[in-house]
Amino acid sequence: MSSALTEKNKLAILLFLVSEAVFFVLLIVAYVTYHLRQGNGPTASNSLNIVKTGVFSAFLFASSYTVWRAGLSFQAGNRSWKALAWLAVTIAFGLIFLVGQGLEYSDLIRHHVTISRDLFGTTFFTLTGFHGLHVSVGLIMLTVVLWIAGRSGMRKPKPAAVEVVSYYWHFVDAVWVFIFGVVYLWAFVG
Amino acid sequence: MNGGTHRPTGPETIWDVPEYRGLLSWVTSVDHKQIGIMYLLAAGSFFLVGLFEALLMRTQLIRPENNWLSPETYNQIFTMHGTTMIFLVIVPSLLGFSMYFVPLMIGARDVAFPRLNAFGFWITVLGGLLLYFSFWAGGAPAAGWFAYTPLSEKAYSYSTGQDYWALALLAIGVGTVAAAINIIVTVVTLRVPGMTMRRLPLFVWMTFVNAFLIILAMPALNASLVMLLADRDLNALFFEPQAGASELLWQNYFWFFGHPEVYIMILPGFGMISEVIPVFSRKTIYGYGFMALSTVAIAFLSFGVWVHHMFATGLGFPIYYIFAGASMLIAVPTGVKIFNWIATMWGGNIQFSTAMLFATAFIVQFTVGGLTGVTFAAVPIDWQLTDTYFVVAHFHYTLFGGGLFALFAAIYYWFPKMTGRMLSEKLGKAHFWLILIGFNTTFFVMHPLGLLGMPRRVFTYPDLPYLGLLNEVSTIGAYILATSILVFIVNVVYSLRQGRLAGANPWKGWTLEWIANSPPAVENFAFVPPVRSRRPLWDLEHPDDPDWKHEGGA
Amino acid sequence: MDVASPLLPATPQAEEIARLFYVDLVIAGVIFVVVAGLVATVIIRNRKRSPDDLPVQNFGSETLEWTWTIIPVMIVTGLFVYTMKVMHEVDPKPVGREADVEIIAHQWWWEVHYHPSGAVTANEIHLPVGRDLLFQVRSADVIHDFWVPALGQKVDAIPNHPNYAWYDVDKPGTYLGTCAEFCGAEHAWMRIRVIAQPVPAFGFWVEEQLLDARPPTGSAAKAGAALFAKHTCMNCHSIRGTPANGDIGPDLTHLASRQTLAAGVFRNTPENLMKWVSDPQKYKPGSHMPTMDLRRQSFENIVAYLEELK
Ligand code: HEA
Ligand code: HEA
Ligand code: HEC
Ligand code: CUA
Ligand SMILES: [Cu+2]
Repeated sequence: MSSALTEKNKLAILLFLVSEAVFFVLLIVAYVTYHLRQGNGPTASNSLNIVKTGVFSAFLFASSYTVWRAGLSFQAGNRSWKALAWLAVTIAFGLIFLVGQGLEYSDLIRHHVTISRDLFGTTFFTLTGFHGLHVSVGLIMLTVVLWIAGRSGMRKPKPAAVEVVSYYWHFVDAVWVFIFGVVYLWAFVG
Repeated sequence: MNGGTHRPTGPETIWDVPEYRGLLSWVTSVDHKQIGIMYLLAAGSFFLVGLFEALLMRTQLIRPENNWLSPETYNQIFTMHGTTMIFLVIVPSLLGFSMYFVPLMIGARDVAFPRLNAFGFWITVLGGLLLYFSFWAGGAPAAGWFAYTPLSEKAYSYSTGQDYWALALLAIGVGTVAAAINIIVTVVTLRVPGMTMRRLPLFVWMTFVNAFLIILAMPALNASLVMLLADRDLNALFFEPQAGASELLWQNYFWFFGHPEVYIMILPGFGMISEVIPVFSRKTIYGYGFMALSTVAIAFLSFGVWVHHMFATGLGFPIYYIFAGASMLIAVPTGVKIFNWIATMWGGNIQFSTAMLFATAFIVQFTVGGLTGVTFAAVPIDWQLTDTYFVVAHFHYTLFGGGLFALFAAIYYWFPKMTGRMLSEKLGKAHFWLILIGFNTTFFVMHPLGLLGMPRRVFTYPDLPYLGLLNEVSTIGAYILATSILVFIVNVVYSLRQGRLAGANPWKGWTLEWIANSPPAVENFAFVPPVRSRRPLWDLEHPDDPDWKHEGGA
Repeated sequence: MDVASPLLPATPQAEEIARLFYVDLVIAGVIFVVVAGLVATVIIRNRKRSPDDLPVQNFGSETLEWTWTIIPVMIVTGLFVYTMKVMHEVDPKPVGREADVEIIAHQWWWEVHYHPSGAVTANEIHLPVGRDLLFQVRSADVIHDFWVPALGQKVDAIPNHPNYAWYDVDKPGTYLGTCAEFCGAEHAWMRIRVIAQPVPAFGFWVEEQLLDARPPTGSAAKAGAALFAKHTCMNCHSIRGTPANGDIGPDLTHLASRQTLAAGVFRNTPENLMKWVSDPQKYKPGSHMPTMDLRRQSFENIVAYLEELK
């Protein structure tokens, strides 16, 4: 019957992510709405550094691959210590991404682009801030998995639990794909 | 596998609930029945608060140019009344019934995630407390239940009440989404063998569809609230006119949530009516398939009508066409339900228990509310009537004459199952007739009030012809209503001690909850009978003419 | 009579809407009678049955289901088409034309500008009968809504989002209206008074409004004018022909020619003006005009001055 249990948790996390997705879609729509009516203050195209953020984003995108590998190594049958390494790499990549975001923020703030500067600042910081918050939550969950796995000598947690966490991580990653496209690429192209 | 009895399905882990007695057993409970009852009790308490607020408003409005309440006080009260009734009364009490009965009706031992269930409940309570704490923290919110910007921005609503309002709704939103996820997963994974989706009791069906509405609509509220809080507390500019912001952004987001929310408040009620009417007509539900599908149709359409709350904002014609058309179309699946309920009663042997009386009144009153809804969907009429008492009449007919009447039907129907005792039918009938008279007196006159130009959300009004008279009638009605609630409370208190013992199946119902004991044991059932149709208990009683021989098509 | 109802129209626009409403009312009435009638029939036919009588179990009928799906579809389709027609008649696009009347909503009063004459007034709107009038509605702070039922549709006053409406008044008279979007503390007292006059009378009124304020004549009024200028009144109010040109409160140049005060709280009498000027927070708590700490004599002088502003 443990398959029913897996099913149950997967279904729950998927429903949760659907709900989260609507939330992010609306924040993105708010960004787009105000992007289309931007005034002459700071905007995405004159304040953001697409190359730098692109590099940091690559780490986040790559971490989707590493978390998938970690999941494989948790599967019954080929459970192995490699999982810990993959997890550690995932966490490291996530952290690098957050550092990148931190650098970007401090750079913007140094140029007086803040959440209360103009509509670009408001929508940009809210959108990316909420994404960053989600990355942080994901990192905490990954760390918990890493810690439990390490302490129990890979006997715990169940593959299902790992899978739930990795769903979440993939989701956070996918959201960034959209944010990167809408906020950075769009500014760069148009 | 369809032939034999089954063990109830349930979460595989046995949640080892420690053997607490008394209050502690409730506070620490993860049992779906206890949580369900706690939802109802919490909703009931907030109900009394909301009632009290309504009486304050009605008392203030009893005559023109009254200065009994100050405008600030009145504005806080109607905001709290609306917010309370929607977020802390109707939704939680519907969730309470869902949590209690969905597992029982599908032959499960509990919901899929008992701990999540407890979390959802307690965070909703926390939200309620946060909301009311605002009274002590500088004043309750006073921008109405949909808190239009920029009025709800710091520049115009300086009191922290508005922040408490937003935080409270965030908390309640999280709790509601948690509950919805739980319901969906429970229905998908914990149905007893034989309980196919096409055999689900309609209450479960509608609760199930409703849960999807919650999951898709709630995040829109959360997003709006987050933006509002960012503006208020981090000086962001989402809704700051000086920064060139769009005030319609808030309205679009809020109503993208807000309209589905009104169906969130009625779909489980439709489900309750769909349980009560067949049992007390001694017939099977008419047109089960159309009933289930029309629910899905309503759910879909409900995401395409939100602009009907914004017809006076000047968004322009093509947009209005789409949303007016969709709003009118939604009458069609709703009508399908109305007609199927009547068809179920048609030729039936109707037992007018109190529950059935409420269900019958529901049909008629909800139709009135629905028809005024369609009236607004004809855009130019809305241009005249939006934000008048005609709207107040519409939504009390749907929410109260519909939603609340369905809840009362459910309370009279399921109270014996939940407590083991019957509610007094005599007091019940007194309650019913009083509330019927009180409700229609209070709210029917609001239609002419709206047509006489009385705007909503005014703490007082000039002494123009008829306004004073009609408001007085409405206020008298509200006091009759309040009396009816007193009768109801007496009935509950009295019946809990002295009520007739119910036995497992006092109404001769046919769905699975009626084979469990009243109240059900911790594990709900020892065994679940075979489920081969929508009415397993009917099949047991009528082995010669079981339903599964007939349930093919519609 | 002072009834402000969408069903007592004074413009062709409001008339169209009233007609749509009646059509809708008839449709709704018929549907209600059908539903209530069916329910009543069921109840009546049920009366003489014994409790144990088991009715025939009827699972449904596709024909019936489609019947009560299709008929409502047809009804709402009809209603929808008629709705579109009325929308077009009532609310045509305001192309290439300056608004005749410009309404700026404030917490909690209405600022009114006339084009092209440039006349300015507050809370009371004089209109010429028999003209196609285009209104522009804007907001100076939060969202309000301009609603005079006899004229026709409501129009939200939204910051950064000007809205338009046509009202072609065809009957002279006084029509009451109100702010119809909740806008804070004094939303209830944000009333509107429309005075529709034949064209010549309207023209005369506009001429009067365009004049500068008369200089004070009586001694009390003269003292009042000095007080008005000395105290903060002039920071918020304009009186054309004097240095007062504030724009936070209503223009007072011709205050005495208005029928009401403070957007409907009072009829415009000297006693009421005294009440208002000496303690606005008592009579309209929350309003953006502060209660001033002056001696009674000073207020009386100010009132004397304001009373001369015909
Ligand atoms: C339980 C809650 C509930 C329900 C079920 C409904 C149902 C409907 N509502 Fe209502 N509504 C509210 C709660 C609800 N509403 C609330 C709370 C507000 C105010 C919010 C606020 O401003 O504070 C509101 C406001 C509101 C407005 C905005 C008014 C305004 O502010 O200007 C509109 C406009 O179109 C509207 C339309 C409808 C329609 C078309 C339906 C339809 O679903 C109704 C369908 C039902 C029927 C029509 C009856 C049965 C059908 C038949 C018998 C078949 C035959 C019928 C026909 C052919 C017409 N509603
Ligand atoms: C379900 C929703 C609901 C219910 C039941 C009510 C009930 C009542 N409402 Fe309310 N109302 C709203 C939802 C509701 N309202 C909303 C959303 C608004 C808009 C707010 C806004 O504009 O922002 C509103 C606004 C509103 C106004 C307009 C205010 C204004 O615009 O200025 C008025 C005016 O008379 C009013 C009156 C009443 C009255 C007299 C009752 C009475 O009938 C109340 C009687 C109370 C009861 C009958 C309940 C008591 C029941 C129990 C105690 C049972 C215990 C239960 C269990 C054990 C489960 N309401
Ligand atoms: C801080 C701003 C402010 C100051 C100072 C102020 N007013 Fe006002 N006044 C207002 C506002 C705002 C209104 C509209 C109030 C409302 O109707 O809600 C108003 C309304 C009025 C009205 C009613 C106008 C009408 O058309 O109904 C009069 C008369 C008036 N003020 C006179 C005065 C006098 C006299 C003083 C000085 C003693 C004064 N005001 C000082 C802001 C101010
Ligand atoms: Cu202005 Cu309401
Ligand atoms: Cu709606």
